[in-house]
Amino acid sequence: MRENEQIKGLFERVCYDNSIQAYNELYIALCARLIHFSASIVSSFHLAEEIVSDVFLSLWQKRNDLSHVQNPVVYLYVSTKNLSLNTLRQQKRHQHHSLDALNTDMLAIAPDAENGMVSAEVSQKIERAIRSLPSRCQLIFRLIKQDRLSYREVAELLNISTKTVDAQLTIAVKKISQAIRFDLSDETAQTYLRLDS
Amino acid sequence: MFFTDTMDQEKLYALLAREMAGELTEKEAAALEQLLQQYPDASYIREVFAQNWAPAGKVYTPMQVQLQLEKHQQRLQNLPDTTPYEETPAGGRRWLLYSGIAAGLLLLFALGGYWQYTQKAKLPPALSQLVTDKRMRSQVLLPDGSRVWLNAGSKLDYPQQFAAHQPREVTLEGEAFFMVTADAERPFRVHTKAFNVRVLGTSFNVRAYPQEDSAVASLVQGSVEVVLNDASSQVVSLKPNEKLTVPVHPATAVTTENTTTVNIPVVVYKTKLTTLRDSIIPETAWVQNKLAFKHMQLDRVVNMLEQWYGAEINFSDNRKKQLYFTGVFESESLEEVLNALETTLSFSWHKDAEGKIWID
Repeated sequence: MRENEQIKGLFERVCYDNSIQAYNELYIALCARLIHFSASIVSSFHLAEEIVSDVFLSLWQKRNDLSHVQNPVVYLYVSTKNLSLNTLRQQKRHQHHSLDALNTDMLAIAPDAENGMVSAEVSQKIERAIRSLPSRCQLIFRLIKQDRLSYREVAELLNISTKTVDAQLTIAVKKISQAIRFDLSDETAQTYLRLDS
Repeated sequence: MFFTDTMDQEKLYALLAREMAGELTEKEAAALEQLLQQYPDASYIREVFAQNWAPAGKVYTPMQVQLQLEKHQQRLQNLPDTTPYEETPAGGRRWLLYSGIAAGLLLLFALGGYWQYTQKAKLPPALSQLVTDKRMRSQVLLPDGSRVWLNAGSKLDYPQQFAAHQPREVTLEGEAFFMVTADAERPFRVHTKAFNVRVLGTSFNVRAYPQEDSAVASLVQGSVEVVLNDASSQVVSLKPNEKLTVPVHPATAVTTENTTTVNIPVVVYKTKLTTLRDSIIPETAWVQNKLAFKHMQLDRVVNMLEQWYGAEINFSDNRKKQLYFTGVFESESLEEVLNALETTLSFSWHKDAEGKIWID
């Protein structure tokens, strides 16, 4: 939430003070997330990098007409989504220009084995569990876990209800929990449970 | 863990999901705590979800993000209508002030704009300072889009705005990693006690702590020239993956032996940057929150640990200072690092009553 307020502050400085510094900070704060999101639609990191750069170019050009924007994070995600779908349409490479045909390779996340909570093996199992989920479900999990969007923000971005977001996220959490559960005998988990008790 | 009740199970997953999303109500939080008491093993799963996860595929490191920004800035500059984006609040107010003074004098009023314009160029630039304590690292985006990571116990002075057509100058005490945006018209200069680094557009590390007996410039990308701050004003150019080490006499020695030290030519040496596992370069690992050293003498390792953890470490046996160590650490505590080094059996350590650490 605090991060969201920071982003809102930066966005306002771009729109009202024409601050190039706030604009650069905003780019740094969001570009990796937006590139991953775009890459899942257009199936290419290279293309996604250009699309996100275009989104920010247009932000700079339109900066003085954006006072109506309520939530800058959602605004930038929606712009990225639209520009990504448009790019697909222009390339005519894909039949479907919707979020139904996502490349989920770009979305997978997993716990960092380096921080010691899970072993590398369990981390891989989690990744596999995520990859087995429907693509829309994977996208929702990533947007919430990694990009820290709220239910309302995801609902707005994907034109679905917050109830659907909740249900989809529960499915993802269930699947991942089951993957971890099978491995509770795992050494790392045992160490944790022993420390905890 | 074996759930007996599927209702409970489904409820638990839903609550874990909402907790992770930050959407848990107070009532639900209480319900979750209760379920966790019923199924204590689930607290491990909960903890896994609470951790930071990382992309399983491509990851954009802070440096790659910086490169993206640079590429983006070039595209931005090529846009037709984006040249006049100066931030003007301070300048605007100054103009009001000058015109106020001139208001009574018609003739001066006519000249006011020009006078203000020339005056502005002569004003010393307003300086900003970024200071980090021990244990603290920080980063800052300079007004030209260059990014600087500042290591623990360091100080960086830079202007709030870089003047047009003039070198961009900053002053460093301590250690910093620079990713400088290219600008052929305004070369970038880093001033330290021992040397100055002249840059066009590039990324490099400068380590110049006043308490250390040498200062080091390491170049990752691009090209830089290092100009020594002694009588010789020797200039050394660096190529990517080279570092320059300049011996510095400790501040006390310089003041006491003022006359003798000045004339001694400084012997500098250039070496290659080498990598540790996962292509980590020890000189720049701290930018990624890693503590890394390769074949480094223990007294230098101890200096790094003192900076990193804000601790005091002493040698009860000075011979141990000559031991060499290699290692990469990320989230380990100071005790864990010392224990890891201790496993080499070449030294042991203990903490005294005041919390000082002794290497025996």
